[in-house]
Formats: sequence, structure tokens, C-alpha cells
Amino acid sequence: MTPAWILDIFAAIMLAVAAVSAARLAVARPWQQGTQAALADIDISHLLMAIAMAGMLTASLQTLPNGVWEVIFAVLTAWFAYRVIRDTQTSGVRALAGGHCAPHLFHAAAMLYMFMALTAPTTHASGGMGGMAGGMSGMGTLQLPLLAFVFALLLIGYSIWDLDQLSGPGASGHYRLAAARTALTAPVLVGTTAGPGAAAAVSPSASGLAGSVVATEAQPAHASAPAIGVGAILAPSVATGCRIAMGVTMAFMLLIMI
Amino acid sequence: MSEVAAGSIRARWRSGLDAGAGMARGAPDVRRRLQLSLAGIWLLVALLQYQSFMFSNGFSQMIGGTAAGNPGAVASPISWDATLVAHHPVLLNSIFATIQLLLAIGIAWRPTVRVALAASIAWALGVWWFGEGLGMVLTSSASPVNGAPGAVIIYALLAVLLWPADRAGQPAPFTAARAVGAPVARALWAVLWLSLAYFALLPGNRAPQALNGMIAGMESGEPGWLAALERGAASLVAHQGLAASIVLAVALVIIAVGVYLPASAAKATVVLAIVVAAVIWVFGEAFGTILAGGATDPNSGPLLILLALTYWPVRAAVTAPARTALAPAGADEGTTSP
Repeated sequence: MTPAWILDIFAAIMLAVAAVSAARLAVARPWQQGTQAALADIDISHLLMAIAMAGMLTASLQTLPNGVWEVIFAVLTAWFAYRVIRDTQTSGVRALAGGHCAPHLFHAAAMLYMFMALTAPTTHASGGMGGMAGGMSGMGTLQLPLLAFVFALLLIGYSIWDLDQLSGPGASGHYRLAAARTALTAPVLVGTTAGPGAAAAVSPSASGLAGSVVATEAQPAHASAPAIGVGAILAPSVATGCRIAMGVTMAFMLLIMI
Repeated sequence: MSEVAAGSIRARWRSGLDAGAGMARGAPDVRRRLQLSLAGIWLLVALLQYQSFMFSNGFSQMIGGTAAGNPGAVASPISWDATLVAHHPVLLNSIFATIQLLLAIGIAWRPTVRVALAASIAWALGVWWFGEGLGMVLTSSASPVNGAPGAVIIYALLAVLLWPADRAGQPAPFTAARAVGAPVARALWAVLWLSLAYFALLPGNRAPQALNGMIAGMESGEPGWLAALERGAASLVAHQGLAASIVLAVALVIIAVGVYLPASAAKATVVLAIVVAAVIWVFGEAFGTILAGGATDPNSGPLLILLALTYWPVRAAVTAPARTALAPAGADEGTTSP
């Protein structure tokens, strides 16, 4: 069987993802955002999936019964399906490849599939998600293994794509820009992500960040330093990192339960 | 934290979520997309390596089994490796899986693509010998239908062909030619596919029931629908080993010479290569037996398809920009200009 310590490592990674997602929600306070609160869906889904997966990987981390998780992930799947449909109406089918909702749709659907398709282990029926934990250690398998394989391929594909985009030429500039946005309070310039010297002057409202702040990459580092500690966790790259970790872990779980 | 700063943080969170974390900041070019496909296959291989079967004695027995039929100089190191793995299955398999995981991440992470591709070549060559018995090409049992010349050697070949460099000033008629040049890339393609044609015609593969037995043998442990497919395919070639081998060999020879033909004909042969690889993957390799559990990799089918895509003729021949050779490693690899 797959050694328990390997499962524990993946479970620890999921707990870290859950902690980061919870911190992002705590800092961003979506409940104070009015209609924008719906944008918390990604962090909420990361939080729930990470908790669920940690429980699937390590029996001692089990929280809710399988039936409750099935309902949760059915709702999340329906929600992200709705958002993907909305995206495709504006961006076409490219929303499936490059949009940020499509990966979450497949993540949620894969979670739902895992909970619904796991065959009960022959022994070890300890309640809760004991069946899933049994599955992790080779005592249970997934029904419809082709679906597990397809989900695993999709998750692998999105994870690899995210890694590439995270390390792309605009990524480092993006981080610096994001940090600077947090610190400054006067509307000035917004930098593009194309690199030094590529800044373009626009108004704050045109940048889509009304009342917020913009800066060029030429801003001195100390200008952004005070707020990085709080604000850095909200960087899009952090959410992408969580998504990569969850995608790889989920693909791992799907493949070892085939 | 002031209200202004807090508002700014929340606005940033909203904009980050709305814009889409990880949305395309630089659209990868064709070669980068192919590199990412290779990284994806490495990641699949790594995750498969974490399956429970790999931590059992079955894995070492699988390795040891590849020694059979090989010359002594090749077989002895394989047997030593199998014994070593049998004594330390958890430790060694964990290391193997993690190395492959790092290779996948390294290829997908742009700054490390060169290091990871170079490491993947070394790793693939090692696995080809110590894990696959040189793809059994030195035995009489190698067959294109069961994965010869060894799936892992195709990973190394792809790493070479997708190396992130361009031969300055030379037009590349297809992606595989960008790093090594068209003559070398064509020669590598021809050698690979001609060798497959040769293996298809080996006595052991052209025997009346050889192909039937090979395909029927893939049925074990597979889901019902795939087992039924295998049974159907096996019955189609029952007692037709010679004819099937000749048809397959002819197709493989056509594919091999296809890259020397004009672009339109070359496209047709690349399509033929993809179709043949897909048929082999489904019927000969049963998707690498992944659905039955215990597979170490998806076998050669997806690799051959990926390889064929690197030879797809490009509409306008690419002339390498002179600056590419001077750019730092991974600095702007694989990103198209907006």
C-alpha cells in the first residue's frame, strides 16, 4: 500500500492550503463586500476542498460525513458550472482553457465524483470518511475508473498550465505591482506586466481599482514593504499556488484509487 | 490598518479573483505547449509511481522481468537494480516518484526548463536501461504494439527535440527542427519509425497468433468495456499475424519517410502516425494498463502522438531570432509576442 507518511505529507499540504485560504478570506473580509462577496467562491472552495482532502488522506483529519461533503461539492459544482457558462458567453470556449472558473469546476466535480464513486472497503468501516481513508491505503477503489483517469488528466493539465503561467515573463512584474498597489495611497501610474519601462499612464478608475492605488515597477521597494505582510497573501499567485497544490493532490488521489 | 489601506487590499483581492489567478500573462508558443504536454506526462508518470503497487515486491519483480532475454552485460545491472529495489522498496520508489515529480515541475516552471529537460534525458536513459531493459530491443520480443523501443526513450528524444534553443538564422519547417535542425530531426524520426517497422516484422511478432496473443493478454484486470474492446481486436487478428505485421510495417515505413515529403504529404503522414499511435495505445497497450492499476506510465502511445505533433509542418517556416542564443536561460522561453 502507499505508505502512510506519503499520504500524511499530502494531507499536510492540504492543511496548509486550507490555512492560506482561510487567511485570505479573513484579510479580504468578503462579507463586507456587498455584491462582490460572491467572488469569495474560489477561496471558499479551496478551503472546503483542502479540508475534505486532508480528511480523505488521513483518517484522523476527518470532519464531516461523506453525505454532507457530497452535497457541498454538488453545490460548488453547480455554482462553478454556472460561472463557466457565464464566462463562455463573454469569452467563448477559451474560458474553458484560460478562464479561472473552469479549473474550479473540474476540481469540484472531481471531488464530488470521488465521494460518490468510492466503493466501500471490505473492512475498516469506522464511520465518517473511513471508507475514503481505506481507499487511500488500497482497500477501496473508484467505480468508473475511466472517469477517474479523465479527471486526473484534466487536473494535471490545469496544474501544469498554472505552473507555466505562474513562472511566465509577466509574473514577477505582476507580483511587484500587486505589492505596490497595497502600499500606496495616491493615484499615480499603473504599470503593465511587460517589464521595466513599459508603464502606461491611466487613471485609477480606468485601472478598475477605484479608490485604490497603482504604481509603476520603478517604485522603490521600501514603498511597498509595510503592507506586504498583510497584503501579499491576497496576491493572485497565492490562489494559483493553492490551486496547483490541490490539483496535483487530487490527481494523486484519483490515480491511486483506480 | 487604515480604512484606505484595507479598502485597497480588498480591491486587490477582488481584482485578482476577477482577473483570474494565473490567467495568461504570456501565451506560450507551440514549442512551449509541447513542452508543457511533456511535463504533464511526466507528472502523470510521477503520480502513477506513488500507487500502492509500486511500493510492493511486484515493482521489483517487474524490473527484474526486463532482464530476461537481454545480453548478460545488459541484464546483470538490471538484476542488481531489481534486487536493490526489492530490499528498499519504499525508500527507492519514493525517490523515483519524487524525481519524476520534480522533472515535471521543472519543465513546467519556465526558469528551470533547461535544467529539467537535461535531467529528464539522463533520468530517461537510466530508466530505459535499468527499468525497461533497453525497451527489450535486444531481445526477440520487442514489438511496436507492446511499447518498443521503450516509452521512456521517447521522453529523452522529446527533451532533445523540444530543447529551448533555436539554430540562428535557419528556417524550421516543424517544431522539432528548431533545436537540432531539420536534417537531424528528420533522421531521428526516420530511425525511430523504421526501427518500429523492423520490430513489427520480427519472427516472434509475425507468427499467426502473435498479435492475437499480445492483444488478448491486455484484457486482464481491465474494465469490462475495455476488455471487450481488447477481445474484439484480438479476434480480428486471430491467425492473421503475418498479414497484420506486414500492414503495420508498411504503415510505419510510410510514416518514417513522410517527413522527407512536401508539407501537404508530410501532414498526411503525421496524421497517420497519430492514428497508428492511438490504435496502438488503445488496443495494444490498453491505455498503458492504467485502468487496471499498477501501471508505471501510460506506455508509448501518448509519447508517439506528442512526438508526431512536434513534426507537424508549420505554415510559415520559423526563422530563429538571433537574440535567442543570447537570452538567459528561461528568460522568455516559449512566449509569443502579444
